[in-house]
Amino acid sequence: MDFDYTPSELMAVAGARELQDKEVVAVGLGLPVVASFLAKQTHAPNMTILFELGVIDPQPVDCGVGLADPRVWYRANVLSSFVDILGEVLHRGRVDVGFLGGLEVDQYGNLNTSLLGEPKGKFRHMIGSGGANDIASCAKRTIIIMRHEERKLKKAISFITSPGFITGGDSRAKVGLAGGPSRVITDKAIFGFHPDTKQMMLISIHPGITLEDVLGTMGFSPVLPEQVPYTEPPTREQVRLIREVIDPQHMYMGKD
Amino acid sequence: MTKLSTLNEAVASIPSGAHLALSGFAITRCTMAFAREIIRQGIKNLTISQCVGAMDADMLVGAEAVTRLIYGGGSLDRFGRLNCVNRGIEEGTLAAEEYSSLSVAFRYLAGSLGIPFMPIRSLRGSDLMAQLKEKSGSNLANITDPFTGEDWPVLRPLLPDVAVVQVQVADQEGNAWIMGPRWDNPEQVRASKRTIVIAERIVTDETIRQNPERTMIPGLFVSHVVELPFAAHPTSVYRVYDYDAEQIQTYVEATRTPESFRAYLDHYVFGVRDHWEYLERVGGLKRLNSLQADPVLGY
Repeated sequence: MDFDYTPSELMAVAGARELQDKEVVAVGLGLPVVASFLAKQTHAPNMTILFELGVIDPQPVDCGVGLADPRVWYRANVLSSFVDILGEVLHRGRVDVGFLGGLEVDQYGNLNTSLLGEPKGKFRHMIGSGGANDIASCAKRTIIIMRHEERKLKKAISFITSPGFITGGDSRAKVGLAGGPSRVITDKAIFGFHPDTKQMMLISIHPGITLEDVLGTMGFSPVLPEQVPYTEPPTREQVRLIREVIDPQHMYMGKD
Repeated sequence: MTKLSTLNEAVASIPSGAHLALSGFAITRCTMAFAREIIRQGIKNLTISQCVGAMDADMLVGAEAVTRLIYGGGSLDRFGRLNCVNRGIEEGTLAAEEYSSLSVAFRYLAGSLGIPFMPIRSLRGSDLMAQLKEKSGSNLANITDPFTGEDWPVLRPLLPDVAVVQVQVADQEGNAWIMGPRWDNPEQVRASKRTIVIAERIVTDETIRQNPERTMIPGLFVSHVVELPFAAHPTSVYRVYDYDAEQIQTYVEATRTPESFRAYLDHYVFGVRDHWEYLERVGGLKRLNSLQADPVLGY
């Protein structure tokens, strides 16, 4: 290979590859935004991007500090409301993919964005749900994207803000939820979920990373298939689009 | 009928202990001038609700004007967390009822429609639901769908005393245009007993009648209309002005400890007589002019 890419760029590209043309995607801020715009500008031009506060299909020319920044609403097709986006589109069942980040995830893909510590003792309160719980509950599938660290990929998380497969097996279906997480993308690997137990299952390892690197930096053992391939690296064009068009100011990608 | 009021008069209409629905979302269209005047007038024991916690709620919590917060989580986007809200929750001084964005929106929607409860798919299987159900007088219950026999979580309607909404344009009766996304504001207004409109600009009745499809708040819901430029500063008002990044950063730094936040309030809230003096303190016309929105970009 004759060009470099960063772990964040690989994560964004892996996220983009999960999105299909014509899908409706509810997006949280950060890497999911880069992944979604990348998909839209490459293989999925007819995808629809939704932001929870009432934004459909924006075409920003500047990076924003968050969903509340009018920079990310620019050239939208629709500017409306929570009841429209989270209610009449998401709750109605029209969202194919929810794209979320998180502080902690457990082996069943349950996400914590609420607090760190003991909920009934000493804890630090963080961001909470926003639309994340709604998206994780109502989208046809969810993609989770986060850093690969032992304190983030945990056997037991402090608080379930957004449900994955809850306690595994059919526990999600039993509370009346369809869908569920389909992928967890980290800076070391990509995981799916075992079809029966719903435990996280290793799908691919990023180039340059070893199986020991992956397993040694997480708090539980994922299901291991016999063969674990390497993740497809980004193309030169995908990296160029991220650096020059989508995130030239490194607002979303971080500095790694 | 004119409902034009001063900010002073509109704020004085709010009794301590009232439930206010505030229009802010993180760092945009927050009711900042209103919150500063609430603090100056010493109004206390408020219940605040909004789908996503914003800077207006955080400032009121930090000033110890709030005892209860009903919200769906929130932050100041990349600038930081809601330090005052988080501290209140961690130390147990703020009673927070924490939901998701849609569940608060559905509580307002149920209130706006006058229906007794609203079923929702969200919250199931989460600790948000477990936490909400543990609270006495829970606003969340379960019901069997009479048509399918399925079990559904249901939410109690939210009926705030007053919605306070920052808008771009209104007439003197309170017919108001909200430009850009409206998040929970339409349902907040319709669920509340009455609404205070804070408008960047008051226009004639004829202006509204020329483009009535833009009216997001009908005057019939409105008790007070306040004309106040830069009333959301340091947060943004789409198509009018951008957020003031430096001032939001100053706020985030100040909210790290109760002592430094007290100094912030002394300087920017108690240390100025009114909104006009506040605008001078943050840099006056020169600073504010630099925040004016580009008409094409909207920021």
